[in-house]
Amino acid sequence: MSTPAAAPASRIAASLAGKYLTFVLGDESYGIAVLKIREIIRLPDITAVPQMPAHIRGVINLRGKIIPVVDLRARFGLPHAEATDRTCVIVMQVTTAAGASVPMGLVVDDVEEVINLAADDIQETPDFGSQVATDYLLGMAKIKGVVKTLLDFDRVVTEIPVLDTSHLSTSR
Amino acid sequence: MEIVTAQADSTQGQFPILDLLGNLRDAVAGRPEFAELATCCSEAWSRMVQIVESGQTFRASDVEWLHALLTRIQLLAHTSPSSATAPSGTPPPPPAAPAPTSEPAVDADSLPIVLNISDDGDLLREFITESREHLDNIEQGVLVLENQPEDAETLNTVFRAFHSFKGGAGFLNLIPINRLAHVLESLLDLARQHRLTIDGPVIELILHGRDVLKQFIDEIDGQIGGSRPRCPILIPITDLKAQVASTIERTTSGQAPVPPAPSQESAATAAPTPAPAVDFFATPPAPAKGSQPPAKSDSPTADTPPAPRQAPSPEGAGNKNADQGAMIKVDTGKLDSLLDLVGEMVIAQSLVGRDLSQLASLDPQSARNVAQLGRITRELQRVSMSLRMVPIRGLFQKMARVVRDLSAKSGKKVQFVTEGEDTELDRSLVEELADPLLHMVRNSMDHGIESPEVRQAAGKTPGGVLTLRSFHQGGNIVIEIEDDGAGLNQERILRKAIEKGITTAAAANTEQQIFAFIFAAGFSTAEKVTDLSGRGVGLDVVRRNLERLRGCIDISSTVGRGTRFKLTLPLTLAIIDGLIVRVGEERYVIPTLSIRGLFRPQPDMVSRVHGRAEVVNVRGCLVPLLRLREFFGVGTSGNPDGSDDGIVIVVQNGTTQRCLLVDATLHIQEVVIKSLSDMMARKNRALAGAAILGDGRVGLILDVNALVQLEGDTLSEAA
Repeated sequence: MSTPAAAPASRIAASLAGKYLTFVLGDESYGIAVLKIREIIRLPDITAVPQMPAHIRGVINLRGKIIPVVDLRARFGLPHAEATDRTCVIVMQVTTAAGASVPMGLVVDDVEEVINLAADDIQETPDFGSQVATDYLLGMAKIKGVVKTLLDFDRVVTEIPVLDTSHLSTSR
Repeated sequence: MEIVTAQADSTQGQFPILDLLGNLRDAVAGRPEFAELATCCSEAWSRMVQIVESGQTFRASDVEWLHALLTRIQLLAHTSPSSATAPSGTPPPPPAAPAPTSEPAVDADSLPIVLNISDDGDLLREFITESREHLDNIEQGVLVLENQPEDAETLNTVFRAFHSFKGGAGFLNLIPINRLAHVLESLLDLARQHRLTIDGPVIELILHGRDVLKQFIDEIDGQIGGSRPRCPILIPITDLKAQVASTIERTTSGQAPVPPAPSQESAATAAPTPAPAVDFFATPPAPAKGSQPPAKSDSPTADTPPAPRQAPSPEGAGNKNADQGAMIKVDTGKLDSLLDLVGEMVIAQSLVGRDLSQLASLDPQSARNVAQLGRITRELQRVSMSLRMVPIRGLFQKMARVVRDLSAKSGKKVQFVTEGEDTELDRSLVEELADPLLHMVRNSMDHGIESPEVRQAAGKTPGGVLTLRSFHQGGNIVIEIEDDGAGLNQERILRKAIEKGITTAAAANTEQQIFAFIFAAGFSTAEKVTDLSGRGVGLDVVRRNLERLRGCIDISSTVGRGTRFKLTLPLTLAIIDGLIVRVGEERYVIPTLSIRGLFRPQPDMVSRVHGRAEVVNVRGCLVPLLRLREFFGVGTSGNPDGSDDGIVIVVQNGTTQRCLLVDATLHIQEVVIKSLSDMMARKNRALAGAAILGDGRVGLILDVNALVQLEGDTLSEAA
């Protein structure tokens, strides 16, 4: 608090405090703010959309609405895993770069629980150097000795096109 | 400030005076320098209320009292040119009143409108929505009045529209709009009292006024929507107002002793600061009641439009008033979710119903219940689908205005006939159709119908007939534009087409092909480019727009007898007939409209060009082949030469064809088009959207246009 550098950090942490849904992806646990979540559904039939980047699994029919689904494993470069009973889709309301709010699904291995994070539990994302992009990480939370990564989903999903268009244009 | 004329032994003019006093009182309230004036107004108002409530006519004593009141108010207001009320069944005020008022009035009129979008945004939006309705009502009403100037009901509708306009504008402090609406309202009020005949010039005036009001509304709308820069709006209305005022004056002075209330707006905002002006106009609801027609017979119709029709026909066809009364506005977003949910329900229901036959033997009661549920579901689907449908009437009425204006401008006499106005089509389609139809009507007016002299020389009636006709035909809506004009001159079209290099003299063209040339870009046979058409862009645009709407256009024409354009369009943009095909494990939807044929290819039909791109020999024409399996990268691409283990679908867009190789065709289904997310649509242009198939899964709809056009490069690169 006393140093100018510490002040903004704690403010960030304070603004991040709140309820988070934690979910599992591989061996790691992540958290997303519950306010952004619309519902959690079992893995439905996903219609693949051709010529999409690998992490976009396709579209699903959510009670008459057609919603794109992002495979978080692919997005985070984790190996593909077969779907299990626990695999599910978290339907979130995502704000796009253009400012529109659109529903979007995330395929995750399992959902855990909703936790209440106080400002004290949250730490700013450490600097991993150039190897890990940290733009879409809000911070890290330590709960019961486990570190959970808090994700900024607006950026996780909407920044993808920017990354992938370049990738696409070179490959095609 | 208004000059109100009142006459003894008449109730007319009472309400306006009452109104005025009320307004005046409010305007000056709370301003110490006008304290005396305020008291005076207050008293006068109370007395007027008594008079009005007594339901009596003005007695001579009342007129005298009013006269005195006026003088007093003028005296009091003398410090500032504030307001005056002139009961001028009596002589004095006129010279006094107009003098100080006319000047400031001009200032107020040319006051630019500055929008306060952050504060009034919602109100303004609402005002715009309402105003557009009013403007439509006015336009339609006036066109009716043109033919039936005595139609009291229509007259009232138009009057009310202007009145509401005035109120709304005043409330939002849009002073010029308020002023303009006010004078026009006054004009119509005269007509309502049978003191003004609605003739050509008056109609012209009202329509002009309506157009200027529309300009205001468009500008405001644009600024709110952000499509136009936010700057003060200044549209001159002074000339128009003066014209209206002089018309009013002519009418009133023509009938010398002049009874009731030709109220002429002038310097309401002439008060020293703008503030009182706001107050002055901030009471629209009061005028709504207050200036309700002195002609008593009119008011019941005004207040109770829905009542007379106790049982409106289910289609809501007949009576226009019944329609209006029974309408509610619904957010289209809600409507869309409802349709989505109903669609889901139908799918869920069909899943339940599939086991019905088994169920029937085990539990007949449940089976009956399920069957009943099925019937209700289907009915629900039918009704919900019809929610988006609106009659085409509005569109036709817009055209009536166009025809009217064009015929006035070109000197051609045209009788405009509409048929099938109640034909329903999707609301979004109505909006999309407005422009193409406008072009078509203009085209018919300019090129089709001849001038009266030419017509007479050809032995026809001097007045032409332009018919707009609409009806349903086989799941499509058909709109015909028919004129009894000169008809299409095949020779001239052909000559021009050759000139433009669209065709060659050698090519044998059928009649239909020749007619189709008029839709080519840059084509115009008009000898001179007129204001109306002749730039050769119109019909070209029409054709493109119609193609986008998945419609087509047929022409039939006889030289000297007339031309008929027949537009055939799907009933809705939201639903298409699609052929469901299987490619690998995925299913895709191809719009049936663009399918030209399907066949199982023989190996010798396919040949390779440069060892890469493949072409199929389709009845002698070589058409490039696209293997969807490979293109979409679904499933394993089978034996590269075994093109016979699938089905070739020939699709066409415009004049370009392409063959698509799919694994199997499944069935044809009506599907509701839903958009893919922006991100996906941008990345894969070959997809037009997605649809929910019968089993609840999502099928992707192919964009034939994109497949036909952009594949060439992508294909060769991929190969």
